Amino acid sequence: MRLVSISLRNLRVRLVATVLTMMSIVVATALYAGILTMAEQTKARYEGSIGGYQAIAGPNGASELEVVLNTIFNVGEAPGLIPFAVCQKLRSGRGIGRRSQVRFAIPQARGDSISRFNYPVVATVDEMFTKFEWKRAPLVFAAGGPFTFSYGQLMEMAEQLTAYENARRAEVDVDARPPRPLLQKQWRECVIGARVARTLGLKLGDVVTPVHGKVGEFGSHDHPEASCEIVGILASTNSPIDSTIYLPLGIHLLIDGHEQGVFLDPQVPGKSPAQVESMPTSVGRIGLTAVITDPKDHMGPQILRREFGSHPEAQVAWPQEVVPKFLRQIGNAADALAVIAWLVLFVAAVSITVAIYNTMNERRREIAIMRSLGARRAQILTIITGEAALLSLFGALLGVGLCHVAAYAFQEHVEDVTGVFLDWAQLRVWELWLVFGVTGIGAVAGFAPAVKGSMTQVADNLAQNY
Amino acid sequence: MIHLQGVSKSYSRGEHAVLACAVDRLDVEAGEQVALVGRSGTGKTTLLHILAGILCADAGEVAVVGERLDQLGEAARDRHRGRHIGMVYQTFNLLQPFTALENVLMGALFGRGAAGDARDRAEALLREVGLADRMHHRPAELSVGQVQRVAICRALINDPELVLMDEPLGNQDRATGGQVLDLMLKIASEQKKTVVMVTHDPASAERMQRTVDLATLRGQEAAT
Repeated sequence: MRLVSISLRNLRVRLVATVLTMMSIVVATALYAGILTMAEQTKARYEGSIGGYQAIAGPNGASELEVVLNTIFNVGEAPGLIPFAVCQKLRSGRGIGRRSQVRFAIPQARGDSISRFNYPVVATVDEMFTKFEWKRAPLVFAAGGPFTFSYGQLMEMAEQLTAYENARRAEVDVDARPPRPLLQKQWRECVIGARVARTLGLKLGDVVTPVHGKVGEFGSHDHPEASCEIVGILASTNSPIDSTIYLPLGIHLLIDGHEQGVFLDPQVPGKSPAQVESMPTSVGRIGLTAVITDPKDHMGPQILRREFGSHPEAQVAWPQEVVPKFLRQIGNAADALAVIAWLVLFVAAVSITVAIYNTMNERRREIAIMRSLGARRAQILTIITGEAALLSLFGALLGVGLCHVAAYAFQEHVEDVTGVFLDWAQLRVWELWLVFGVTGIGAVAGFAPAVKGSMTQVADNLAQNY
Repeated sequence: MIHLQGVSKSYSRGEHAVLACAVDRLDVEAGEQVALVGRSGTGKTTLLHILAGILCADAGEVAVVGERLDQLGEAARDRHRGRHIGMVYQTFNLLQPFTALENVLMGALFGRGAAGDARDRAEALLREVGLADRMHHRPAELSVGQVQRVAICRALINDPELVLMDEPLGNQDRATGGQVLDLMLKIASEQKKTVVMVTHDPASAERMQRTVDLATLRGQEAAT
């Protein structure tokens, strides 16, 4: 028998009070661990997900953060459209493209989704799998390969679509109009991320049907004509890429109901929107949500910055700058929440003090008996402080455990809402320190009642009958 | 074994000091079995607590098992009590949440520390007093006689030189009390332990080697 056995037994004897007191420790620890976990994994997720996204051209009306969050992290709605001309300029051997020495400029358009998880659909070209680099290497396929819709095919289709659109705007007879390009059967292929495949149980050869908007929301509808066969499943990147469906941009542009929104009409002074809509348009006015680009050297960003600084419709967002700023803001919020968690922990510590202190009167005889057997005051102090410490230790362990259980339970939901993947199974060193810290706080909380207990008068309290 | 000289102990009751115990001189030899008797209020239990080092005398010499308790600090007296003195109380004073074995082991823990063989010794003692099948029972699950035997085992677990008993038969019928006293005295005789027992019961006192009336220990000066 050891002193700790006595502490444990005393906790067991007052099981209800012990459990109730422990609950506050559990909640406080779980809250604190949850906040730290979210903050840490958000940081890891966001920093780790920047990957190959060096620069993103997005609409001018949005903030850089909105552009980055939507393009890289699938958070929120697409903040607006930029003209395809931006992509053309970046890719051309002249002007911006030449001066900034862009390695690639990959057009993207989004707005559709699939499944109840609302996995976003990103319409793009095959360069996303051949030129785009995720952590200095092309995206790896776990199965299959990329779809075959190239930038050249996009341009060819865009020319046809523009010709048709201009004829329509000019109100040329339907029979005399150039034909609207058809949605080619060979384009109806898509590549899905690892998480999409895992959670929806999809495999190569399966067919997914994009939904306009988000599943279940007002106005959303299926696009069966754009159903695509899965030709590639990406290996896990532990980033939002895992939750994305990539399909050819041609499908996106030709999808039923997208006719009115494909071309981005400029604001022309003195003309109403209706008048502008009847004006001729061009391939460069096709709307995109973003262009992923990558300057070749350190001068590239400076040149891009200067070129887009005064662009009327587009801006360039730099994930490497935006994300750390964003994380600092998240860090501040996490710090504020951590203060609340500490306050809860403080209240829990006070509840330990009160709970044990209140038992001291009924335990005077028990303490007197131990003293009569030779127990020193220090040993009584140790037993009672040990009770508080053990109670806190168990509470802290349960709290950390609860945090992991909650992370497991809400993993999918949190990833859907925030794009953050909660790794519930990962044990972290700070969890150990948290458990030690909470145990220490508990021991301190037990010190006042322990002092009271150790001061118990032996002779006076031995005489009572049991 | 015990030497008391000019010992007195008073309690404060409001503005007044009440003399609880006064002993001009008391000597007990090693291995002796002594009954302390006296009317209620003569300070028998107070004297027992002074001998145990639970209370500190206001004045006088208190030498017990080779130590001047009146010269020791509280922690040293606690240690001395744990190592050299076994105590049996009228109310047994077993700790209810703990089993018989654990109650005995607690005596070892606070006496000589959590030594490796404490459990073996405790089990042997409990077997010796006929509680082999009750070791893991809590006090509430034991009869009065069994509880008292556990208390005796706890008093003997550290192999103390001195056993102090405070009205050990007070709560029992004469037959049960007699058996327990028989057991205690048998063990004490076998192991040559000094026993000091406070009792009201003349029959129990007669079974001890010597009876000391506390009133006779009180000096004239103290008595007044």
